[in-house]
Amino acid sequence: MENIMLPEPHQILDVVKETQAEYTFRVAYDKPTQYNQFFQLSIPKVGEAPISVSGKGNGYLEFTMRKVGRLTEGVFGLDKGDTLFMRGPYGNSFPVADFEGKDLVVICGGTGMSPVKTVLTHFMDHPEISKSVHFIVGFKDINSVLFTDALKTFSEQPKFRTTYCLDNSEAPGFHKGFVTQYIKNVPFADFDDYNVAIVGPPMMMGFSAQECLKNGADPKKIWVSFERRMSCAVGKCGHCKINDTYVCLDGPVFNYTKAAHLFD
Amino acid sequence: MSPSEVQTLNQNRLHFYQLLARVYQHELSQSMIQQLVHVTFPKQTGSAEMDRGYGLLERYFVNHQIAAIEEDLACDYAKVFLAAGETKGNAAFPYESVYTSDEKLVMQQAWADVRAIYGLEKLALDTEMADIKEDHIAVELKFMAYLCEKNNLEAQQTFLKTHLLDWIVDFCEDIRKYSHTDFYRGIADLTVGFLKRDAALIETLQTAAQAPATSFTMANSDFDALIQQWQQHYHVFAPAFVNGRSNQHRPLVRFQEINQVSDIVYDRQSDFSAKEIYYPIMQTMFYFTEHEVKESRLKDDKDYLIFMHPCDINALRRTDTVFMKNGGLTDSYYKRLRDKVKIVMMECTQSCENCFCVSMNSNRSDHYDMAVRFDQHQMNVNVKDPSFLADFQAAQTSDFQPQFISENQATVTLPEINSREELDLAGHLDYWQTFNERCIGCGGCNTVCPTCTCFDTLDVTYDESGKQGERRRVWSSCMLDTFTQTAGGNRARKTPGDNMRFKTLHKVYDYKQRFGEENMCVGCGRCVMRCPKDISFSDTINGFTAAFAQAKQEQAVK
Ligand SMILES: Cc1cc2nc3c(=O)[nH]c(=O)nc-3n(C[C@H](O)[C@H](O)[C@H](O)COP(=O)(O)OP(=O)(O)OC[C@H]3O[C@@H](n4cnc5c(N)ncnc54)[C@H](O)[C@@H]3O)c2cc1C
Ligand code: SF4
Ligand code: SF4
Ligand code: FES
Repeated sequence: MENIMLPEPHQILDVVKETQAEYTFRVAYDKPTQYNQFFQLSIPKVGEAPISVSGKGNGYLEFTMRKVGRLTEGVFGLDKGDTLFMRGPYGNSFPVADFEGKDLVVICGGTGMSPVKTVLTHFMDHPEISKSVHFIVGFKDINSVLFTDALKTFSEQPKFRTTYCLDNSEAPGFHKGFVTQYIKNVPFADFDDYNVAIVGPPMMMGFSAQECLKNGADPKKIWVSFERRMSCAVGKCGHCKINDTYVCLDGPVFNYTKAAHLFD
Repeated sequence: MSPSEVQTLNQNRLHFYQLLARVYQHELSQSMIQQLVHVTFPKQTGSAEMDRGYGLLERYFVNHQIAAIEEDLACDYAKVFLAAGETKGNAAFPYESVYTSDEKLVMQQAWADVRAIYGLEKLALDTEMADIKEDHIAVELKFMAYLCEKNNLEAQQTFLKTHLLDWIVDFCEDIRKYSHTDFYRGIADLTVGFLKRDAALIETLQTAAQAPATSFTMANSDFDALIQQWQQHYHVFAPAFVNGRSNQHRPLVRFQEINQVSDIVYDRQSDFSAKEIYYPIMQTMFYFTEHEVKESRLKDDKDYLIFMHPCDINALRRTDTVFMKNGGLTDSYYKRLRDKVKIVMMECTQSCENCFCVSMNSNRSDHYDMAVRFDQHQMNVNVKDPSFLADFQAAQTSDFQPQFISENQATVTLPEINSREELDLAGHLDYWQTFNERCIGCGGCNTVCPTCTCFDTLDVTYDESGKQGERRRVWSSCMLDTFTQTAGGNRARKTPGDNMRFKTLHKVYDYKQRFGEENMCVGCGRCVMRCPKDISFSDTINGFTAAFAQAKQEQAVK
């Protein structure tokens, strides 16, 4: 029978250094994936961790990883031509089909940008199905900025309103402060129909959602993506469970009306 | 049907045939009347005709003075069955020939047939029956009683179908027509109803008789021989003493491979559950080199025969749900062992001190391949899986059916959480934080729980270069403070109280909420025995339910 825990080897096609601590790995892969889905990446002898798809193209997927622990460190030791083991894709995705023809607000922090990057790229490549994209992203400091090229391209799109910020410093093209401070600039009142996607550390997501509500956003139109400790990603190990919900199976994306009621 | 049930049933049938035969053979005697007057006739027999018959009999005895009955019935008997005072034809002549021959005469083909049948059995009419013929209803009914006694189901079915049922319906129709008493009309209904029901019953008995006996009794020494025989194909596991002491300073009981009945500790709860057999504490998932992975294999082909109590059998369904149903995904490491498990249910003779299985509805189970009762020097066995029947060919059959306990010393009341808002309230009670000082987060409670399924994965390398090794999975525990920890040290649940709330809701609310049928906890009481800080899970549930009820009340007041 099928072994859902068995990873498969995939070749690393390219490695891009985003920052000192964040690398993007391009990996050979030719099956379909949805927006914001994730894979369990593993290196034998080190372990396994959930990592979102940050980009995709013909015959490849991209993963952007922050070096934080054993596995991510191990991956950083790999190079073009090496083998990365993966299983997936897992999890649900943002309801991107529902986002079409409406205004879209994307708020994210740090590596939280990776899972929504494919969504942003989709609307950039298809301006005809987009009304507007309000994109707010925050990084710790200028050295932590990810996807510099993509940020630049997004800012040049006629339908995109971009706000880039750094926690405690200023830099060309970047405001100072947290993303929450810039949510008030989103003209929720002018929107006919819209969606809000929020991805980042738990605190940042909570405060951002609160701020959206304060500015008149409808909780039913807010989507958040949860990050939980995961060992299996297939509903067996129990690590990601919150109340009766398994984040790996039922998420990681939740509508705010559900997310607001989940408690750890 | 157990053998004793079959035996009782046969006795009852035999008596009923004899009784009916007597009623038709002569007028009722005074002593029979005396007895009948005091009978409470059955109701709702399952046969509408019998119900009606009994109803008529009852009405007859209620409406008649005892003194008048004998004569009244004798008079009716003579009129209905002997055609006394009637012109020919206006009676129910009690002979099969009359009802099956075109000329409506006695001593025709049917009479010859039944005589031949009785002849085969070397039977002849008693002298007291000299005045009637062999195809008289009373003789045919008596013959049925005789066949019942001989327990020959096939002969009974044939005789009933080819003879009695061939004419009795018309005959009884005539009784109803010509009798003026509720008594004989009632007897007519009873006769038809009974014979029809009996035909169906014989069929059931025939099927039951074809099914081999399933319960047996055997000496422990014989059962030991069976265990040894099973060991060729099975790892035979049961709770047994191992070195070490429990928190209560008792010898530890854990599931072990056993060799004989005397190894099995069946009369107290084991410290560890059977879970570790089909979901090992640590198991290798796959081996890897730098470029490939290879799935692990089981160490041998043997199946597992596990002696377990109903709580653990019920727990098995919970772990099945998580590993084989959740998310529609099946965990092959679990399934490959689980498929090998055969269950020998050990009857619980008494509730252990900490068990609260009755409150959790898991004191019973019929999900087993065999069930056993330990009885000093002998074993009682009920076999459900037919593949084991061959092992009991030489054993003495018995009536054994496993019994279940229906009461525990410990009981729990589960909280009634009816909405998302109430769940919020339940999850944020101050009550939970009272565990911060008590629980040390050792995870012992999860380790002994038959329904806990959580695990971590762990990579192990064999050499310095780390190029070869294996990935294992190891039980984890939601009570450990690192269970929800992510890189950078952030923890979703931060205090022992948070963890206790999570575990408790998981066991008595979340799981049921997600999967519907039942709560996760089976009330086996092991975590209660295990806790080094004397935190009783049944007390925890009860404390939660009380605190929650109070909070609900306070909210209602506000
Ligand atoms: C759905 C999802 C998508 C993610 N996408 C990305 C991404 O695109 N880029 C990125 O840099 N990070 C992402 N993360 C976070 C990433 O999984 C962790 O940073 C990573 O697991 C750390 O692993 P480590 O072995 O390097 O750290 P260690 O601290 O050594 O972790 C040991 C183990 O703990 C578990 N663990 C630790 N932190 C996390 C965590 N935050 N989430 C889940 N499990 C954890 C893993 O099982 C890991 O093997 C995502 C997490 C989730 C749940
Ligand atoms: S929670 Fe305790 S009582 Fe309930 S099944 Fe687990 S070990 Fe048994
Ligand atoms: S409840 Fe008891 S057994 Fe469970 S983690 Fe806390 S101290 Fe350990
Ligand atoms: S990650 Fe294992 S259950 Fe969700």
